[in-house]
Amino acid sequence: MQTSKERELRHMRMLLWGWVLMLMTTSLGRAQNNNPVVEAHAVMATDAAHADSPVKLAVLAQVAAGYHINDHKPSLDYLIATELKVDPSEQFTVKNVIYPKGTPKRFAFSDVPLSVYEGTVVVGALLQAGKVMPAGIYTLKAKFAYQACNDHACLPPASVPLTVSIKIVPRNVPLKPVESDVFQRIQFE
Amino acid sequence: MEEQTPIENTPQASKAPESSPQETPMALRAKLLAGALLAVVMVVGLYYINHYWIAPAVRAQTKSNGSHPLAPAFSLTDITGKPLKLSDYQGKVVVLDFWATWCGPCRIEIPGFIEMQKRYAAQGFTMIGISMDESPEPVVEFYKELQMNYPVAIGNDRLGELYGVMQGYPTTFVIGRDGRIYAKHVGAYDSGVFEAEIKELLAAGAADETQDFHQAGQIFADDKVELGNPAAIDSEVPGVDLTKLTADQKEAYKKGLEGQQCTCGCKFSLLKCRRVDRNCATSRKLAQDQLEAFLKDKSSGVTAK
Repeated sequence: MQTSKERELRHMRMLLWGWVLMLMTTSLGRAQNNNPVVEAHAVMATDAAHADSPVKLAVLAQVAAGYHINDHKPSLDYLIATELKVDPSEQFTVKNVIYPKGTPKRFAFSDVPLSVYEGTVVVGALLQAGKVMPAGIYTLKAKFAYQACNDHACLPPASVPLTVSIKIVPRNVPLKPVESDVFQRIQFE
Repeated sequence: MEEQTPIENTPQASKAPESSPQETPMALRAKLLAGALLAVVMVVGLYYINHYWIAPAVRAQTKSNGSHPLAPAFSLTDITGKPLKLSDYQGKVVVLDFWATWCGPCRIEIPGFIEMQKRYAAQGFTMIGISMDESPEPVVEFYKELQMNYPVAIGNDRLGELYGVMQGYPTTFVIGRDGRIYAKHVGAYDSGVFEAEIKELLAAGAADETQDFHQAGQIFADDKVELGNPAAIDSEVPGVDLTKLTADQKEAYKKGLEGQQCTCGCKFSLLKCRRVDRNCATSRKLAQDQLEAFLKDKSSGVTAK
């Protein structure tokens, strides 16, 4: 039977080899990948909404490892900004779109650090539901537009289409919060 | 039989020390640090092995074996309004650069290309830039700002697909006097890499394929020249060559694509995704796989042309 010391050493060895393996694959070359560089989906802050009331949405985008997309306010004027574009809708008005703060990173092609998004990117949207909206399911379309680069090349500008189903319920029906951990990260006005 | 002394009573056993609680964490930390240092040494070692041993061996294997493809022809209008045809440069060494003004790595290569044009034009060399910007205005502005001295035209998706520009920008092709592509580089490179290749090709004859070409710089899987198939590019299902199908088979195949959703996140059918987003690698692969399955499917009751 292994002692706790032996188990710890074995665990450390496994971690070490895992790390070496990971570094080896990144140092020996680049791999082609047919998976999308950015995936995104939208969620609501509550399970439904009321007419003539604010509606909070969040778009969660996942940027593939090794890639970055530009801040909504790019550090250089020629860079293409990340943007959430909500299609015009008769039922919903966009009041505000809240973008996260980017991470400054240095790149060989720039003298200054650039503000970029990596990993999970959470963008908030504050909408106002129309004054008169019978109870039912309404569809809102949007696009998460971005332009991604890795450390040596840049992909063309692209976008992820988003479809959000918003359920309108009578005012006397209470709304249940959902995805609270996501919405805590967004500073809605 | 000699009676064996139980281990716990041996002098060695009684002397075996137990680690004190204070020592164990430090010993573990020391081992972790040693392991981390070993990992770093291994990675650095692997880098140098790749750089000085594997990559040169690969380069030796990239000597021409008569399989350098002809660069696809194109006819565009450059941003000054003049015609730009690749065929007009037959007999010259050409570096063809797919780039964009919104691409940082692309922009840092341009000054080097300007110098290359100055240095080698008289010897039969030319740079050509194909901008993949959506509109000419930022390209014209950049062209003037940097005083670019070689022809630049606005490209299009079809030309990019013909050249197999899939991994992003910049993607640069080095074309010999015989009109064949000898090297492809994805990402920004120091101009010294291109100059080494240009000099080699300038020294070669115009008519025959260069037999002993060495691609310079680090070689990656992305740098393999894989030209697009015009039949697939111009197909009703962009990216999929349908020439092996009869008219009825095409309709059945397209119907099949309409019934499947693309997994790139667009929520479109495969057919719609192919048509609205030719660059979607996910729908391209899925549609190509579907075609192979369709051609193999005997239960469809149809046979290919």
